[in-house]
Amino acid sequence: MRVEQALRLLPNLEALTPLRGLLLSSARPDERVQWGSGGPYLTVGKRDVEPGELARSMGAVLTFVAEHIAALYGAYVEALERQERNDAPGAVAALLGAGRLEEKVGRLSQAHAWYEVALALAETLQDRRPEVETLLALGHVCLALGQYAEGARHYQRGLVLSEAEFNQSGAVDASVGLGNAAFERAEWPGARAWYSRALRLAESGNDRLRLGLIEHRVGVLDRRQGDLAAAGEHLRRARECFETLNGEAALEMARVLDAQGELDGALGRPGPAAGAFREALAWVRRDQHDPGLDVAIRLHLAELLFDTGRWLEAEEEMRRAEQLAITSNQMRGLVRIYTLLGTLRGRQGDETGFVFFEQAIALCRALEGPPIDEARVYHAYGLFRQVCGGPDEARAYLERAAEILRTLGVDEEVERVTAALRNSHDVNTPAAGAG
Amino acid sequence: MTRPTQQPTTSPPPRPRSAPSGGLRVLAVGGESGAGPLQGLRQWAADLAVELEWAADLPRATRLLAGGQWDLVLAVLGDRSDEELAWWVDALRGAAGAPRLIALADRPSMGMALRAEKLGVLDVLALPLKREALTSALARVRSAATEVALPFPPGDTEVQGHYALVGQSPAMLEVYKLMARVAHSTATVLILGESGTGKEVVARTIHQHGPASTGPFVAVNCAAIPENLLESELFGHEKGAFTGAVARKIGRFEQAGGGTLFLDEIADMSLSLQAKILRAVQEREIERVGGGESIPVSVRLIAATNRNLQDAIAQGRFREDLYYRLAVVTIQLPRLVDRGDDLVLLIGYFARQFGERYAKRIDGLSDRALELLRKHQWVGNVRELRNVIERATIVVSDGTLRSEHLPDELRAHEPGAPERSTSGLPTLAEAEARHIARVLSHTGGQIGAAADILGIHRNTLTRKMKEYGL
Repeated sequence: MRVEQALRLLPNLEALTPLRGLLLSSARPDERVQWGSGGPYLTVGKRDVEPGELARSMGAVLTFVAEHIAALYGAYVEALERQERNDAPGAVAALLGAGRLEEKVGRLSQAHAWYEVALALAETLQDRRPEVETLLALGHVCLALGQYAEGARHYQRGLVLSEAEFNQSGAVDASVGLGNAAFERAEWPGARAWYSRALRLAESGNDRLRLGLIEHRVGVLDRRQGDLAAAGEHLRRARECFETLNGEAALEMARVLDAQGELDGALGRPGPAAGAFREALAWVRRDQHDPGLDVAIRLHLAELLFDTGRWLEAEEEMRRAEQLAITSNQMRGLVRIYTLLGTLRGRQGDETGFVFFEQAIALCRALEGPPIDEARVYHAYGLFRQVCGGPDEARAYLERAAEILRTLGVDEEVERVTAALRNSHDVNTPAAGAG
Repeated sequence: MTRPTQQPTTSPPPRPRSAPSGGLRVLAVGGESGAGPLQGLRQWAADLAVELEWAADLPRATRLLAGGQWDLVLAVLGDRSDEELAWWVDALRGAAGAPRLIALADRPSMGMALRAEKLGVLDVLALPLKREALTSALARVRSAATEVALPFPPGDTEVQGHYALVGQSPAMLEVYKLMARVAHSTATVLILGESGTGKEVVARTIHQHGPASTGPFVAVNCAAIPENLLESELFGHEKGAFTGAVARKIGRFEQAGGGTLFLDEIADMSLSLQAKILRAVQEREIERVGGGESIPVSVRLIAATNRNLQDAIAQGRFREDLYYRLAVVTIQLPRLVDRGDDLVLLIGYFARQFGERYAKRIDGLSDRALELLRKHQWVGNVRELRNVIERATIVVSDGTLRSEHLPDELRAHEPGAPERSTSGLPTLAEAEARHIARVLSHTGGQIGAAADILGIHRNTLTRKMKEYGL
């Protein structure tokens, strides 16, 4: 049975989310259709799922779910017990722990809810450290959800409290968070100011890990602003910081190398760029494998290959990322993969590429992910339709994207979508005096 | 539609594969330098004419691989051997020098050996490493140095573009004759053939030589499009007909008006949609989804499938009346392995096509590469061959495609592959494990389906899989 058929029989209930995840991650490609003309367009919906296999895998998933729920219940009971013993900071820590558990399994909205409860309690305490910790956790999850304005508010409050309490690491993290929130909203001067502040604070404490993280962010910011030389310098410094940590920052190193690959790509050096991505993948594998990061790096590598005309390799890299995203249940990654596959097909003038956008939208709806993901799919789909026919659909998709992005306050992206809409309008409106 | 096949002719001299000193550049990864499981490697290096480098971990290995040409990588696998094996195969794709991989493991299982073989790994050796085992593996790497270049037969100037029909085999000549007979009519055509045999190319050629050639050729891949969208893709929809119908859409039937509509993978269509196609074919009119108006359409219909439609009819998955409507003329395309020397013509055609795209001049292929290409089963037929030649064109550095440029899956069958018993024949357990692995691969890993094919209970299969480490 095809996954698309199986999903139609599954009601969209929150309690069934793990089952939906299992269904998708246990889907296998039908090797018989790999070489068929539909092969290049296969998505997870066209994979096969065997009810018997699903039933056999269910035990492990149910155990995992039971353990997860037990841990959440346990955290809650611990919070109650601490509260009863007048240990409110302990209660906050227990609630934060529950939120982190939720975040770890990708349940960001649920994590947000735990952190909100923790914050309400932390705000009543005289000791402000639990509140700072909670605010930083909230800021982080808000950014992951695409709620940049709310995230910035939490980080701002966290910074004020950290400074009042002489909590330097808290102040560094809050400043970085504020920089990230500004970065996501393309407020470049604001982002730079926050990162600079974080850098000054981290330098005084000689915290190599945090220094490396900030240098990395500044490097990425420089690249976005077009100062490629400065970006290279900051990324080099970030690598130096992580190298002194004797391999304890393997994932951070992978992220820096990923950024280096993108920088080399922007500098028109595809060889070193591919080398940096490959090394980044090796770092991801080194200790604790992070499939989400692995998928992201492979996507960057695929884009590089595509931009240099190596379509076959780009396609293969994306298919490897797809396989990894499916088996490791990285559904947000999968949405990005299909959006990119559709975009690349659009650049090739391949109209059937629309199937990837449709699959990405279906996944966004089924998984109820952050609205920013869906907005970005609509944006890319609108651009695809502008090139591959369907001007009315192009306009409708772009309008939908703009609508979602406006609610999230992502002005720079709204502006880009609006520009595409204007372009769409110009294309479809006869020039004055024509005819 | 090309000139008769010419066999490639011999053209020495061969290009030396290894370093000027005659040594192989070998990168050992993991384990410990000089001691531990790879103990002995450094002492043997000089005797075995090996230039050896050692990398402690994957990031260092990746840097070394990017920094030069390597002939061989010896990778010590850890606890997650399957994952690591796949990672290595992936990492070595496109690496300079197309290095081969030898996996080293503490206690390699038969399952691991089979998986490694499928991935094209040169060999799996047990740790601690034995000198004889390494010597034998190195001999296989060195044998690639003796490849002889063979020039391609001259290309046919008539055969150009992405949708050209290439081939002179008797099986293809029969296809050409049938195409010539149907092209000038407006009869509906059903093209049958395995995946990748060129059904769309045939459909386009019929269209180009038919009465509707001035009209559009619209191809719809029924297997690619989500089931719930296929109807609106074919017939169009009115704005608001369903969630996501953001604007009126003109369907493919209408787009193909005055031309040809090619429905590929038609057996993947649901029965309800088959009924609507039948109506469109019979009444020559369609209705957009969410629209009440009948719209006349004038298209020539060509359908294709890689499935056995008679079986699908017997199983109630395909409408018999639609089958007879479509199969006015049926063209059966041959498999690539049944097309004899067309393989050489196709290799030359694709090498020229991709040589142009990647700005490389490719004049021939080596005898060993040709042998490997001939031995391959080509389940994906011409599409798979095209893919293999494109990949080879990307990595080739001179004018000759060699075995080292072919994907690992093809190189797994290189002559001299290690036998697993002293007699040169597999043991019963090896043969059984290999067959089970093959069937599991065929069913995409689905145990129930594999057990059905093997004719054993699924519990027995599960036990055997565990036993063989599959």
